[in-house]
Amino acid sequence: MSSRSAWLLLAPLLLFMMLFVGQGMFRAVQESLAFGGAEGMLVHYETLFASRSFWAAAGVSVYVALVSSIVSLVIGLVITRTFVRVFAVDTWKLAAWFPMLIPHFVAAYLVLLFFAPAGWAASVLGTMLPPFVQSSAYTGVILTYIWKEVPFVILMLLPVYQELDWRMAEVSRSLGAGRFQTFRHAEWPHAGPVAVETALIMFIFILGAFEIPGLLGVTYPAMLPVLAFDWFYQSGWSERPLAQAMMVLVTAVSLVLAALVLSWVRRGRRRSYA
Amino acid sequence: MKRWSLLPAVLLLGACGNSESGTSAEALEELSWEEITAEAEGSEVRMYMWGGDEGVNAYMDDVIAPAVEEEYGIDFERIPMDAPEFLSRLMTEREAGSTDGSADILWINGENFRNAKENDLLYGSFADMLPNMEEHVADAPFVENDMGIDVDGMEVPWGNVQYAFQFRGEDNPPETMEELLAWAEENPGAFTYPDVQNDTGNGFVRHVIHYVAGDPETVSEFDEAWIEENGGDVWDVLRTLAPSLWREGETYPNSLEQQDQMFADGEVQATLGFNEYRAQSLIDQGVFPEETETVGLSSGSISSTHYVSMPFNTGNPEAALVVINHLLSPEAQIEKLNPERWGEGHILDPETLSEEQREQVEAYVGEEIVPAEDALPELDARYVDWIQENWEEEVVQP
Repeated sequence: MSSRSAWLLLAPLLLFMMLFVGQGMFRAVQESLAFGGAEGMLVHYETLFASRSFWAAAGVSVYVALVSSIVSLVIGLVITRTFVRVFAVDTWKLAAWFPMLIPHFVAAYLVLLFFAPAGWAASVLGTMLPPFVQSSAYTGVILTYIWKEVPFVILMLLPVYQELDWRMAEVSRSLGAGRFQTFRHAEWPHAGPVAVETALIMFIFILGAFEIPGLLGVTYPAMLPVLAFDWFYQSGWSERPLAQAMMVLVTAVSLVLAALVLSWVRRGRRRSYA
Repeated sequence: MKRWSLLPAVLLLGACGNSESGTSAEALEELSWEEITAEAEGSEVRMYMWGGDEGVNAYMDDVIAPAVEEEYGIDFERIPMDAPEFLSRLMTEREAGSTDGSADILWINGENFRNAKENDLLYGSFADMLPNMEEHVADAPFVENDMGIDVDGMEVPWGNVQYAFQFRGEDNPPETMEELLAWAEENPGAFTYPDVQNDTGNGFVRHVIHYVAGDPETVSEFDEAWIEENGGDVWDVLRTLAPSLWREGETYPNSLEQQDQMFADGEVQATLGFNEYRAQSLIDQGVFPEETETVGLSSGSISSTHYVSMPFNTGNPEAALVVINHLLSPEAQIEKLNPERWGEGHILDPETLSEEQREQVEAYVGEEIVPAEDALPELDARYVDWIQENWEEEVVQP
C-alpha cells in the first residue's frame, strides 16, 4: 500500500483525534497558562510543584499504576503460558476474558459491596473485615485493577503464544536449558515486546483513570485524577488551572514514557529478527 | 396544526440571525401569564437535578411529572446530575455559543448559584413573573438572599431544610454539638462525616464554625478577620475529633450516599445531612433500620434553603416558568412534605393557605424535629470555599 493511501485510510481517525483529543488538550494547555496577569505564565505550574497534595497524589498514583501493571503482567503471562492449549477452546478463552466486559466503575462497586468491612463477605463470614477496600495502601484499588487487567494481558499475549514455534523450546530443553533459560531464549524474544507494550498501556491508563480510585481510594493521598476532579469543581472554579496543569503534566509524562518504551521495543525487535 | 402555526415564528427567529432560540426575559415580561401558559402547552421541559435521593426522585417522577402533563400538557423529564457538573456543562455550552440548551430548569443554591450568576449562566430575573411567587411564597429573607448572595429574582426558593443527625441503636443520642463531640469520643469509629468537597460534609464543618463562634451574629456575614483569627480553633476541634472517627479519621466517605450505605450496614452508627425528615422514606424502604433516631442539635441546626432557576439557554422558557410556578403551588409544596417520598419543609406563607391545606400541612409535618428557635442561619458561601480550600491540609494530612 502506498503511504498516501495509508494516510487517506487513517484520515477519519486522525480527524477524530484532532477534533476531540487535540481540542481537549489545547484547551487544557491554554487554561493551565496564566495570560496577562501580574505573575508569570507558568504560575499555576509553580503553585502545583509547591503543593503537598500534588506530590502525595503523584507518588501514590505511580505506586498504584506500577504495582498493578507489573503484577497483572506477571499473572497474565503465567496464565497464558500455562493454559495456552486450554485457551484454544473458545469457551475457556471467553471465560478468561470475561472480566474485561465489566466496566471499571462496576468492578469497583462490586469490590466495595463484597469486601467493605461490613459488606457481603463480612456478613457471610460473620465478622467485620479489615478495612483494605479504602485503605491508604490502596489495596482495594490495586486488587480491582489486577482483576480487570489480567484478562487484558491474556488477550494481548495469547496470539503470540499461539503462534510461537514450540520446537524452539524443545530444542532449548534438549540442549539442557533450564525452565527459565528456555523462557528467556525461546519465548521472551517474541512475547517480550508485546508484554512491555501491554504494561505501558496499563500503566498510563491507570495513571489517568478516575472511577476505581474515586470509589475505593482515600481522602488523602488521593490519586491524580481524583485530585484533579476535586480541584476542577472546588471554590468557584478558581482551582481549575491547577487541575488543568496537572493533567497536562500527566499527559506529557505519558507521551514521553510511550516514546521511550516504544523506541526500546522497536530496537529490541530489530535485533531479534536480525 | 400547532406545529404549523409555529413555523413562521421559527423562520422569523432564523432571520434574526444571532437571537437566542428561547424568548428572552425582557420579551417574556411583556406577556400575560395566560399567554405564557398557552405558549407552554405541548413543550418538553428538562430539569437538571441531583439524583442521589430516591425520595426526591419519586416525588418528581410520581407527583410533579404527571401533574404538569395533565394540567399544562408539558412533558417533564428529570436529568440526574450534580450541580457542579451541570454548571460545567452550561459553561461549555456558553463558550460554544450553544443557544438551545440541554435543560430548562436547574436545582441550585449557594456556592453553585454564585458561580452560575457570576459566569452568566442564568436566564435572568424571572421571579416576578410567577403568580405563585406573589400569592403563596413566604416573604422571608431567603427570598432575597442565598448564603450571602443577592438573588435578584434569578432563582426562586423551592424548599427549606434543617441539618440533622441520624443515630442507630442509641437510647440517648447527643443533642448538642458538645455532646456530639463527646459521644464520638466515647464510641470510637461510630461517627464520621463526608469529605468537605461534598455539601453534607461541608455543612458539618459549618456547624463547627457556628460552635466555635458561639453567637450566630458573629458569623452572620463573611468576616475575613474573624475566620483568620478563629479558623485555627475550628481545625482544632476537627483534629481532636479525627482519631475517634470511622477509620481513625484517616479517610472520609466520598459522598453522603457512601455514608448512608455504611450506616445501613452498621459500619458506622451515625449519618447526617440536610433535611430532617429524610430518614423516614429510607426506613420505609428498609434501607435504614427501624430504630433510626433523627436528632436536630438543640445547640443549633443550620437551616438551608434550596432554589430552582433557569439556564441562559433554555429552549422553552415559557414552559419552564409554568413548571417552576407549579413547583411553588400549595398542592405541590404540600405533597413535597409527605415523608413517604421527599418529606422536606415548604416555603409557603401559611397565611395564604386554605383551612383544609393548613390541616394537610400539619398532618404531614407532625412532630417538629428542629424547633424554629434552634435554627441557625446558613453561612456565607465564602465560608464554604474556606473550608474546601483548607480542610484537607489542616485535618486530613498527617
